[in-house]
Amino acid sequence: MGTVSILDGLKRKLVADSVASGRRADGRALDEMRELVVETGVVPKAEGSARVRLGRTEVVTGVKVNPDRPFPDTGDRGTFICTAEIPPLAHPDAEAGPPSEAVIELARVVDRGIRESHMLDMSQLVIKRDVSVVGVFTDNAVMDDGGNLFDACSYASVAAILSCKLPVWEMAEDAPRLVEGQRRDPPITTVPVSVTMGRIGNHIVVDPSLEEWMCLDARLTITTNSEGNICALQKGGREGFTPEQLNSCAETAISVGARVRPKLEAARRAG
Amino acid sequence: MPRTVMPGDTITREARRAGDNVLLDGDTLVSTAVGIVNVSDDTVSVIPLSGKYMPRADDLVVGMVISHTSQAWELDINAPYVGFLLATDVFGRDFASHADELTSKLALGDLVAARVANFDRTRDPLITIDDRDLGKIDSGELVKMAPGKVSSLIGRQGSMIQAIETATDAAVTIGQNGWAAVSCESADGLLRAKRAIGVIDQWAYSPGLMDRVKSALGHGGG
Repeated sequence: MGTVSILDGLKRKLVADSVASGRRADGRALDEMRELVVETGVVPKAEGSARVRLGRTEVVTGVKVNPDRPFPDTGDRGTFICTAEIPPLAHPDAEAGPPSEAVIELARVVDRGIRESHMLDMSQLVIKRDVSVVGVFTDNAVMDDGGNLFDACSYASVAAILSCKLPVWEMAEDAPRLVEGQRRDPPITTVPVSVTMGRIGNHIVVDPSLEEWMCLDARLTITTNSEGNICALQKGGREGFTPEQLNSCAETAISVGARVRPKLEAARRAG
Repeated sequence: MPRTVMPGDTITREARRAGDNVLLDGDTLVSTAVGIVNVSDDTVSVIPLSGKYMPRADDLVVGMVISHTSQAWELDINAPYVGFLLATDVFGRDFASHADELTSKLALGDLVAARVANFDRTRDPLITIDDRDLGKIDSGELVKMAPGKVSSLIGRQGSMIQAIETATDAAVTIGQNGWAAVSCESADGLLRAKRAIGVIDQWAYSPGLMDRVKSALGHGGG
């Protein structure tokens, strides 16, 4: 069991007071994200990759694409698996070894946003029905935890998938064989954007920084698709949201998501 | 110009006592840290440029409550050891562990200005707030710096800290452990005071420190 950082009381007060005044400790408006920088093609050996910087948070994501055995009940679809890792270099509290609950939640929230938006048309990732399909593995490595890993990992995953080029396989004697020299674009149907909001007192902040993250009473991650429809939700923290707050969070997620989406879509053109 | 040494560097072969971060190897005094050589009387010590705070009795420190038992609070004092602040120190001699709730006086994350009552490396340092001007810090902001550079922040006879306080109207409580609580009525003053402390942390023991601090104190904004 490692140590867990405690935010000192004065900083906690400063964060709460500045949020209540409508201008956050780092000068942002309540519904303002930190600066988002998306680079693609950062891992040459991966089929797709991205490095995302969201303020001080930094995530590198790689996509590997391999033939895979389909799940017994979904032989007509490819597989998608999303993982996350927070190595000790990312944060003083991060420990090597089996993933903590927080890391498992991170991977699942990112996975769910992509899966439930149906970003990838899985029916186009079949090599031979019930025998062999294409598996897409998205691995998120957190380089620096500056708060709000949910969104940073989600953006990095989405950008990496958008930028990836899929190898092509054909069936030969009941086993998939790589077709040399052929690559295709991934079957993208929509671009999911996750927006994480936190409640501090009665105020909702978008994209909490690390200090704000340590002060959150509750948090909510909402993923919307290109049409502005909500396709995934995750609520965390010990306290809750009022119905009015939930509605306003939903609207914020849609409007902020629409501002972020073009930056991720640029990854597709770059890739 | 102060002399900088690395671990393993020979400091002197003169017959002197080995102080903090110095080893006597045969007839040679050798540094065990990256730091500045300091000779006082017959003792040679090295002031480390980074690292944790080594508690010393009577030092003023700024600590943060990280836990508590039924009898005492545990304070993070930026040391390899946890500081213990006894409940009787705060509640008085009538303290009863079954009746008095420690968190009613000091909660997790609270900052205190305190003094190291005693410490001998065989037990965790005992901390007290039973003195004038000691106790919970209610306002301001915590600023951290290397413990070895605290003397530069204070300056000769307090000249440096006086210059900062006068220029910014801020009140600075400096702990020997490298943690300082800075409070100021104006946000601009707070910003300038924090910037000045940052400059000292970066440039302590360099020539022209006072000029750098003055320019950091000079104007607000950027």
